[in-house]
Amino acid sequence: MTTLGMPELLGLSIAAGFVGAMSGMGGGVVLVPALTLMGLDIKHAIAISIVSVIATSSGSASAYVRDRITNLKVGMFLEVFTILGAVVGAAVTLACSERPLFIAFGVILLAIWLTMVFQVGKQWHPMAYQDRFSKWLELRGSYHDEAQKETIRYHGVRAYLGGPFMFCAGFIAGLLGIGAGALKVLVLDLGMHLPPKVSTTTSNLIIGVTALAGTSVYLANGFIDPGLAAPVILGVVLGAFIGTRVLVKLSNSAVRNFFLVVLLILGAEMIIRGIRG
Amino acid sequence: MSEHAINDELSPELEAFQHKIEGLVGTILLVGVLGSCALLLSGMVWRFAESRSFVFDYELNKMNLFQFLVKELKLTIEGRFRARLLISLGIVTLLLTPYIRVLASMVYFAFVEKNLKYTLFTAFVLTVLSYTLFLR
Repeated sequence: MTTLGMPELLGLSIAAGFVGAMSGMGGGVVLVPALTLMGLDIKHAIAISIVSVIATSSGSASAYVRDRITNLKVGMFLEVFTILGAVVGAAVTLACSERPLFIAFGVILLAIWLTMVFQVGKQWHPMAYQDRFSKWLELRGSYHDEAQKETIRYHGVRAYLGGPFMFCAGFIAGLLGIGAGALKVLVLDLGMHLPPKVSTTTSNLIIGVTALAGTSVYLANGFIDPGLAAPVILGVVLGAFIGTRVLVKLSNSAVRNFFLVVLLILGAEMIIRGIRG
Repeated sequence: MSEHAINDELSPELEAFQHKIEGLVGTILLVGVLGSCALLLSGMVWRFAESRSFVFDYELNKMNLFQFLVKELKLTIEGRFRARLLISLGIVTLLLTPYIRVLASMVYFAFVEKNLKYTLFTAFVLTVLSYTLFLR
C-alpha cells in the first residue's frame, strides 16, 4: 500500500507527539500532514492518526483524573454529543473524495492557529447565575488549586450550547483524525464558563472516547493497518512523554511562536495541496 | 450562593468513594496505555529479531473489533504463536481502554451515586460504542 520505511515512520511519529505535547495542540495536527507528505493517502493517515489520539489522550487523562481536576459529569454529558459527531465525521471522510479533506484540514489548522494567537490569559471568575438546564445536569464541582493554595468552586452554564457545539467538535475530530482539543477547550471555556484547568483536563478525557468512536468506523471499513499503526502509536506516545517533560522546563514565548509558524505553514500547505489536487 | 451549597451536600462516604472511583479511572487509563505500548513494542522487537524487518502484512478487511480479535486468535491457534498477535492485542487493548473507562463510570453512576440521569447518559455512550465496535 505504501513504501513508508519503518525508521522514518517511527521518527516522524516521535516528532509529531513531541510537537503536539509541547504546543498543546495534540499529535494529529502534525501527524496527518506529515504522513501525507510521506506518500500515505489522506484517509489512511487520518485513520492511523485517530488511533494514536486515543493513546495520547488516555495517557495524559490518567494523570489529570488522579489530580481530581477533571469533571466526570461534564465529560459524560458532552461525550454523548462528541461520539455521535465523530461517527458522522468519520463516515463523511470515508464517503468524501480526497481534495476537500485537504482543504478542510487546512482550514481547521488555521482556525486552531487563530484560537492560539488570540488566547488571552484572562482571569477566571465564578459566574453568579446558573441556567436551569445546567443546574438540572448537576454541572458543578470544585478542585484544589496548587498554585493559589485554595479550593476553587465552580459551576457550568449554557449546557444547551455546549451539546451542539461539542457535536461539531466531535465531527471535526472524526472527520480529520485529530483530537480537536483546542476547539473542545473553547466550548468548555467560553461556552460553559468552566475554569481553564477544568476545561483542559475534561477536554482531554472527552478526546479519548471521541477518538475511539471515530476509530471504530475506520476499523470497520478496513482503514486501520495494525502494522502501520503500531510504530505510529509507540512513536507518538514516546514523543508526547518527552514533550511534557520538556514543557515543564521550557515554556517561553519563543517556543510558542515557533509552533504558531509551523501551524500556519502546515495549514496553508494543506489548503494549497487541496486546491491543486 | 445557593448553587455552591448544593455541592457540599455530598456525604463524606460518597465523596471518599468518588475519590476512589477517580483513582480507579486513572489507573485503568494508565494501565491500558502502558499495556498496549508494551505489547506493540514486544511485537515489533520480536518481528525484527525474527526477520530483520518491521513490516507486518495485514490484509485489511471490513471487520469490527470482535471479528478482528477472533480472526487473529484463530490464525494464532492454527499456526504458532507469532509476533503479529502481540501487535493485534496491543491495538485491541488500546481500543478497549476508553471503553472500559466508560463502563466503570456507568457502574459508578448506577450503583454508587445512584444517579439515574447520568447512568442513562453513560449507558447511551456505551451503547453507541458497543454497536460501532462489536456489532457492525
